[in-house]
Amino acid sequence: MSSKFQFELVALVIFAVVIAFGVPAVMNYDGFELNTFARYLALAIVSMALALSWGVTGLLNLGQAATFGMGSYAMAMHLKLRASSGLPDFMSWNNVSELPLFWVPFNSLAFTLLAGLLIPASIGGLIGIFMFRARIAGVFVAIITLAFLVAFQLLVINQQGLTGGQNGLTGLAQMTLFGWAFDPYSMGFYYLVAGCVTVALAIGVYLTHSKFGLVLRAIREDADRTRFFGYNVANYKTLVFCISAALAGWAGMLYTLVLEFASPTYMGVSFSLAIVIWCAVGGRESVIAAAFGAIVVNMLEGRLSDIFVEGWHLILGVIFVLVVMFMPRGIFGLLVEGAQKLRTVGRARPGHAVEPLSTTPLETNQER
Amino acid sequence: MDVIANQLFAGLSMASILLMIALGLAIIYGAMGVINLAHGEFVMLGAYVTWALQTHVGIGILPALPIVFIAVALVGLIVEKAVVQKLYHRPLDTILATWGIGIILQQLVRLGIGAESRFVKGPEILSGNTEIGPLIMSNYRIFVIFFSIAVLFVTWRLMTRTEFGMKLRAVIQNRDISECYGIESKRIFSITFAYGAGLAGIAGALITPLFSTIPTMGTGLVVDAFLVVIVGGLGSLVGSAVAAALIGEATALFSIVINDTLGRIAVLAGIILLIRFRPRGLFPTETRR
Repeated sequence: MSSKFQFELVALVIFAVVIAFGVPAVMNYDGFELNTFARYLALAIVSMALALSWGVTGLLNLGQAATFGMGSYAMAMHLKLRASSGLPDFMSWNNVSELPLFWVPFNSLAFTLLAGLLIPASIGGLIGIFMFRARIAGVFVAIITLAFLVAFQLLVINQQGLTGGQNGLTGLAQMTLFGWAFDPYSMGFYYLVAGCVTVALAIGVYLTHSKFGLVLRAIREDADRTRFFGYNVANYKTLVFCISAALAGWAGMLYTLVLEFASPTYMGVSFSLAIVIWCAVGGRESVIAAAFGAIVVNMLEGRLSDIFVEGWHLILGVIFVLVVMFMPRGIFGLLVEGAQKLRTVGRARPGHAVEPLSTTPLETNQER
Repeated sequence: MDVIANQLFAGLSMASILLMIALGLAIIYGAMGVINLAHGEFVMLGAYVTWALQTHVGIGILPALPIVFIAVALVGLIVEKAVVQKLYHRPLDTILATWGIGIILQQLVRLGIGAESRFVKGPEILSGNTEIGPLIMSNYRIFVIFFSIAVLFVTWRLMTRTEFGMKLRAVIQNRDISECYGIESKRIFSITFAYGAGLAGIAGALITPLFSTIPTMGTGLVVDAFLVVIVGGLGSLVGSAVAAALIGEATALFSIVINDTLGRIAVLAGIILLIRFRPRGLFPTETRR
């Protein structure tokens, strides 16, 4: 067990304790505040999912919002069917007389929960196979995923009778599991989301520090060398795309439960780039840092957009440019560098050369 | 038949606009490998400068073009010096930084001028239509098509027939060796970025009578223009022209066969397939890196 792994495990435990006990206490167990925070936690999962593909493997996926949206819609479809007797209301407005075939299985909760993970995962896998078998890398990954996202959002908005179009899916029922109705403003629901985040982060931490994660980092540093060592780079990349997509779908399902609607806005280009911002601000190399980044930026957004209603996006833009220019490793990078300085001061050994940190670990993965 | 001819013309008109936006992007991307996501906002700035000149100073679109070019090129120069120059060794991060700049520019315009859409009158001389049989073509759109071809020609001359162009091509081929020969690659990059931004500004000025001028107008355009650049082949001017024509016409024709949105989806799918099988585009340029 490496020291980095121990460090991240400690961070994970602290994170779990804070969101389980600290946050509800600070929020005074207020249902509304906790619901808002649960929203940030759901977004933390998708930010952390991006860290797996972008920070760890070096694949900038600008289509993360598409897989997030798939999860979100899968859950919303189930809840919509439960809320409506017979045909969902928007379908009859659009002259759809019969429930479309692909809606039928969403009557079952078990199917929905599986679909919310497996549909994004298989789509992510297909895109992965499609791209990585041809050794598409670098900027082109970003462009293909972006084009896919735009096409997918257009499709969802266009098929109004099947998906609710621009309005999304609204008027949803509350989810019931073993007879317990999920009230999104209750403590129980908050703990459900907090538990999901902790489990997702634990999976992320384990993956990054397993041998699998080591190979992923090797691919980020130099895909060709990793290939020459006998690893099938395309399969590793595809697998990490699948996992990242499944986590994003999971986050999407939780998001629908928190907000009680699903909207195509959350499949848009700006939402996808917002995920990239959270991840970059927190620190793309560490899944916990990325999740933390999502929570911090969204909390700031919640607080600051009340004060500066107009100027908030301007502030966000400035912060983002500054982070990219001066803190390429995000808050995580600052912490790591700070800790290293402390350690060298503590040792106080003059002449002892500190091993320089690679400040730009992600730039080696260029297309050749 | 009438429908197809008219759609072909609409596609050509769309292509000419895409081409002008994409040219700036293609040069910037080809020269420095920077994906400039703020390019759409340069287009937007061009449109707003045109609007300001027309409503406050009373200058029409055509005489305003040089002023717009210089104004937006200056913004581009500032952006390049302040941000992009610091990120040349981190190409993926330029996507993020320029996107951040895009947000800033968009919000500045929204706060300064307002979010409501602005209207700019087209030039008087070019109002009216030219009709050839059933084919009805707006004179202004014809003008834009020819203007974009002229811009392409001028850019091509600049790249191949001037000292600046030679230096730029040298830097694209091999930056380090060019510097050994005394070419200041930093300066070349700054000028190139400013020129690309200026072209975006002109594109913005020319589309003001066709699109509504709002702070978010650039966001949709930049994705399309970027796809043109990728499909055409990195840094290839001819490639960008062909790709613009292809994408414009394909979108127009698909929208007769199916509908507008599905047509666009089909084009996007086609582009994804094309990148997959020809990642270096239709007309890849020979470079050493």
